[in-house]
Amino acid sequence: MQIQSFDENKVLDDLHHYLPSQLSLKDFVHHNPLHNFQHLSFFDAIFKASKNFGCQVTLSLEEYRSLYQDGRIRDEILSFIIADQYEETQVSNWRYNLLQKDYPYSFEPNIGGIRSFWKKVYQIDLDNHVHPLLFRYIGSFLDQGVALWHFPFEDNGLIQAIRDLDRSSFQGVFKSKRTRELLHQNHLSIKHLLDLVVGDPEAYSNYLLDQQFAHRGWSGLFAATESSPETLFYRKKSSLKDLILFELLMELDVLDSNLDKQWKPLGKAIQLPKIKYFENHHLTELETVLSIWQRAFEWDYYDEVLAGIQTAAKIPRKSSHKVSFQSVFCIDDRECSIRRHFEKVDKNCQTYGAPGFFGAAFYFQPQGGKFYEKNCPVPVTPKHLIKEYDVKDKQKHELLHHPRTHTVISGFFASLSIGLWAAVRMVYDLFFPKMRPDISNAFAHMNRYGQLKIENDSLDDLENGLQVGYTIEEMANVVEGILQGIGLTEDFAPIVYIIAHGSSSANNPHHGAHDCGACSGRPGAVNARVFAFMANHSKVRSILEDRGISIPSVTWFVGAMHDTASDEIAYYDLNDLNENSLRHHLENVPSIELALDFNAKERSRRFASINTNSDLKRIRKAIKNRSVSYFEPRPELGHGTNSICLVGNRETTKSLVLDRRAFLQSYDPFSDPKGIILAKILGPLPVVCGGINLEYYFSRMDVERMGAGTKLPHHVMGLVGVSNSSDGDLRPGLPLQMIENHDPVRLVMIIEQSPLIVENILNSTPSMKEWFSNEWIFLFALNPSDHSLHRYKGNQFYPYQTLKKIEAQKGDFIKQVERKDSMKTNHILDATKENLPVYVYEHE
Amino acid sequence: MFMNMNNLIPLLPLLPLTALLIGFLFHNTREKEIYRANLAGIGFNLIIIIILFIQWIFQDKVPLSHKGILLYQTSLDAIDMSFYIDGYGFVFLFSATILTLLIVVFSKTYLHREPGYKRFFNNLKAFYAGLITIIIAANFETLFIGWEILGITSFFLIGFYRDRYIPVKNALKVVSLYRIADVSLLLVMWEAHHLFQGSIRFEELSSALAGMDTNIEFNSGLLLISILVILAAVVKSAQFPFSSWLPRAMEGPTSSSAIFYGALSVHIGLLLLIRTGPIWEGIPSVKALIMGIGLVTVFSATLVARIQPSIKTQIAYSTIAQIGLMFVEISLGWYQLAMFHFVGNAFLRSYQLLVSPSVLSYKIHDQFFNFIRPQPQKKEGFFNRLKLSLYLLGIHEFYFDENQYKWLWRPLKKVGTALNFIAAKQMISLGLLLFFLGLVGVYSQPYLPAGFRYGLPYIFAILALMVLLKAFTLRGKVIEIWGLVILNQLFLTLSIGYNESFDYSQIHLYLSGILLSFMIGLYVFRNLKKAGLATDLSTYQGNVYVKPTLAFVFALACLGMIGFPITPTFLGEELILGHIHSGQYLLMTLIMGSLLIVGLVIFRTYSRLFLGIHMKGMHIRSYRSA
Repeated sequence: MQIQSFDENKVLDDLHHYLPSQLSLKDFVHHNPLHNFQHLSFFDAIFKASKNFGCQVTLSLEEYRSLYQDGRIRDEILSFIIADQYEETQVSNWRYNLLQKDYPYSFEPNIGGIRSFWKKVYQIDLDNHVHPLLFRYIGSFLDQGVALWHFPFEDNGLIQAIRDLDRSSFQGVFKSKRTRELLHQNHLSIKHLLDLVVGDPEAYSNYLLDQQFAHRGWSGLFAATESSPETLFYRKKSSLKDLILFELLMELDVLDSNLDKQWKPLGKAIQLPKIKYFENHHLTELETVLSIWQRAFEWDYYDEVLAGIQTAAKIPRKSSHKVSFQSVFCIDDRECSIRRHFEKVDKNCQTYGAPGFFGAAFYFQPQGGKFYEKNCPVPVTPKHLIKEYDVKDKQKHELLHHPRTHTVISGFFASLSIGLWAAVRMVYDLFFPKMRPDISNAFAHMNRYGQLKIENDSLDDLENGLQVGYTIEEMANVVEGILQGIGLTEDFAPIVYIIAHGSSSANNPHHGAHDCGACSGRPGAVNARVFAFMANHSKVRSILEDRGISIPSVTWFVGAMHDTASDEIAYYDLNDLNENSLRHHLENVPSIELALDFNAKERSRRFASINTNSDLKRIRKAIKNRSVSYFEPRPELGHGTNSICLVGNRETTKSLVLDRRAFLQSYDPFSDPKGIILAKILGPLPVVCGGINLEYYFSRMDVERMGAGTKLPHHVMGLVGVSNSSDGDLRPGLPLQMIENHDPVRLVMIIEQSPLIVENILNSTPSMKEWFSNEWIFLFALNPSDHSLHRYKGNQFYPYQTLKKIEAQKGDFIKQVERKDSMKTNHILDATKENLPVYVYEHE
Repeated sequence: MFMNMNNLIPLLPLLPLTALLIGFLFHNTREKEIYRANLAGIGFNLIIIIILFIQWIFQDKVPLSHKGILLYQTSLDAIDMSFYIDGYGFVFLFSATILTLLIVVFSKTYLHREPGYKRFFNNLKAFYAGLITIIIAANFETLFIGWEILGITSFFLIGFYRDRYIPVKNALKVVSLYRIADVSLLLVMWEAHHLFQGSIRFEELSSALAGMDTNIEFNSGLLLISILVILAAVVKSAQFPFSSWLPRAMEGPTSSSAIFYGALSVHIGLLLLIRTGPIWEGIPSVKALIMGIGLVTVFSATLVARIQPSIKTQIAYSTIAQIGLMFVEISLGWYQLAMFHFVGNAFLRSYQLLVSPSVLSYKIHDQFFNFIRPQPQKKEGFFNRLKLSLYLLGIHEFYFDENQYKWLWRPLKKVGTALNFIAAKQMISLGLLLFFLGLVGVYSQPYLPAGFRYGLPYIFAILALMVLLKAFTLRGKVIEIWGLVILNQLFLTLSIGYNESFDYSQIHLYLSGILLSFMIGLYVFRNLKKAGLATDLSTYQGNVYVKPTLAFVFALACLGMIGFPITPTFLGEELILGHIHSGQYLLMTLIMGSLLIVGLVIFRTYSRLFLGIHMKGMHIRSYRSA
């Protein structure tokens, strides 16, 4: 008999490769959910994923056609896209295909094909028997502290723990004797169990993929915690192999006890089909049609943005006034609007954008914390530790969540005491919401009045291999990197705000997704404070002086944080300001508050519960309430609608209104003729901005298979994730409430620099180039010398003429906000109408 | 000095029902209007309850009562919808109304832009109306109406996310168990009818019992009633061994889980026990049974709560455990303590559920500062082994689900499968033939041999049950199942017909409901076929995705088929029970078996035909396991 080889390691690798890689929900970081397909060009990749996983990766044909009917996809754009890809002779044919042809559609994903035969052959629903119990076992195994009794023996890995549990308990884990004996076998192997369950070696790999993808959420977390165990505070020794062994044993147990002795391994009972998963996929005609529509859908918007940029760039700059203050924000798209309002309220202020960790990559340890928190982009491994001390506030508790409410006697007294009080509390929280200990408060991440140990005492001051604090030299490097990157090396204002961001929200397991992506999904207050400290340090300033950056002694950096949900800004270390600086700061505060009012107003247009035309302060209060309301599933809308990344001088595009859709990285092309600075600042952008954008893209395209579905029924599981039900799989991805207003378009990045320089940078960094050449992100260059646009296609730039022209107008943008209604439903046809067109407003 | 406000009582269920009708008028996107209709419907109720409460206080706490509309009257018997409110009633009324009102306000924002916004609020109102009916019911018949409404709305609320697999599966699971409670209550009504010679009001129970001369037969009747009441209460309050449905009911939006399964629905078993108190208070063994169930539940539910990784499930089991304690309190006669306990527990658990998503960040934050790695578990020694065994017992949820399947559903399936030798089609044709023969027989009863005639009700009841069991296991065409169901009803009619002299008006009432539902069903199937949609029940078809209106129409037909209150079938059902003589336990069991299983078959048919993941066309499909 010919024995087919089954490579266990290869399957495990494949699984690690393809399973969702989302970590514990506390470490939520946006990433491209199909990052393992990124070596392919975009449409090849997504349709391949679709073929295997059964997920939707584009809108439906009817939806695109309706968008076309509605004018959201302009006809000239459609023609342009077809002509861009096909010969003239084929154009009319494709137009017919796109607009009229009927396409049959059948839903037949590869994965799941083999295991479906259990039902066909033995009329047994294996998943129904296995899943609920399996999820309870692995949920308990990974549990971080919901259960009052923790899973025993978790240090030895799942299988060993099950063995111990089985041996030490009276009743045992399994029902059938055979399974029990197998469990305790010394060299229990996946292969051996597959022989018993499947029996056809050719089908083994596919069987395991089917099996694990039937609960991709749990398997994904198991795999992710295997490679990044630090994502759990209460570490567990999880391994995907253990999970598979356990599941196979459970299957065997179910089969043995439900089918009596009369069953044969599946592959012996029938001839299993030989499908190859993850084969290279050739686009079908329907898929090609969909890809053209998607391009057109995207291009319609890109073209408008590019036209706006060109118009804005041509508006002559005003002669410089005395700068009142400068503020450096995160590049985050949600800061796009607040910067506009800053500049509007105080015409003499300047704003900048840089990734919100402000070059300071470190672990942070709050006072009394037993762990470290990583406050920098995910791919970076920090070498520094920042410790907090001198915190006087005590940790606050919420009795309602006390574990003792779940025991008999205390539960009884809890009912009679806090139970009756809960009625009052409910009324209060409904009508007068306020901050509570169980609401995630962005400002509580670091204590506002505590101290930070930022300056390193000696190089020997190490903790777990991390250097405590920065040396002067290191500080100077961080400050220099940022200031040079954003082009702020002269003309310093008396106050420079370093404004990080975070987000407060109630009843929201996904709160990490609202915090700063450049700080690993945490509020960036620490980073802002650390940066300000560094930039204020006299020794740092003298080093910088030597390097050509001269910061006048009257200039003071103030760390701050913007809560993007409640629209509040908190300032740090104001005690350190001298009288003069404090006076300057206090002069700015009213303008900043007003800017926040306007920002709240602009945001309110998307919230049905707030009347955008009511009084500014009332809107502000209503916005604040959203961030502390338990009943509000949309405290803010996160990165919804993000679609642009602008890298360039703020002055060039200052008059451009991009709603709240653009990541804004400051960069001065004139001070960087060789592109050396550009190469540095470009580094994190594709991962951070592209990751966010693609996470939104896929969650929007298929909120069930790529997203987390509606968050309303979510159960919190083991403090590591959410599921829809008690017996349900974990749900990685973004919930519906975050993505419903998002137009699923890929990110378009526009760099203000000559195309040649950008091309050179890409050619020298292949990992970055992949993002653009495979079209996971679109790229344009805006030549600073003549404002011409260049499109990156294939591997090089070509000049691009926009189809649309946008005129600059006078007046006040906020009027547009007042006119706009919020969407009727969250269907794409309605949702896309909520977006504002691109406006250019001339400077007043 | 006070006007008699008792006439306001019927408004309590009527107002929310009116609000329900108003709610139907608005499109799903008109969220404000839908919300306001809800707020008004329940808000006015609160005002009425306050007025009634004041009156009650000033009346020296004499229970308020109101004789409602007569549902049906014959020379012998009358069934009316009567209401009364006592102190316990007020506790439940206030808790239910205030909680529902708060949840309405909470859900206004929470459910914003949900495709089922309207559906949710409509169900909420129906649920509330059902609950109120139970609370103020003065007799079993009225209570049963509320009880049924509660069951149906639970089905729709659990399966709120109807295009997903698990919610639908669990809705079906829960409603199947509920059906056991329903049938128990029907039996209680039947037995009580015979014991007390007609419909009895709860408040008259004590005096009626005092006036009876008791004999063994009467006492065993009381015992039967008590046990059935306990069964109904145990199922509805998720006590041992039926606990596992409660966490599985938490499939809808958090706010609905919080109010129904954390607070209101699940405590209703207590009220049932209190209402029937006079019946069982004198029977020590029954008291011991209630206490025993309570204690076992306290133990089992607490254990499962302790080892739960899912927060909502943990809260569900904590609720169950506290209700177990309340059962103990009730068995000891400490009703007032149980009332306080109920109110506190209801608010505590519903609030815990509402804010359960917060637990993730709260506890992680707490862990960040206070985590201490637990001591490793030891393996040796009796106590460690016991602990580990208990742990395992908890993780397997006391094997509740498994045993429910094994003892409740699998035997039914086995019998059904045993009927595989005959195809459904043949069965229907053969059945119809038998029915017509039987029909002829009804008219010629005097000519039939007496012994044979007495056997006929049993034969037809058995036939009725058999066709249903066949339908229960059938996975094929919907039309066949529908045919078997109607055949079942026809056989039932014959069975009753032979049991007692035929009262045509009653039978007509019953059959009119059934036949109308049957025809609507046929219309629905035809429409689905025309649209090219699958109608076989081998899997969940999810046709509601394409045909929501048709799904609604079919749901009404299904309600008619199972004798949902307010359909003619329901009245017929009640009346038919009157025609089974006291002591005919076997016949009663057979007919109850039919009523139980018909519910399962109908709910399953509706679910498979319209709910679940729809496979046709290009659209988003959820994962089956999610």
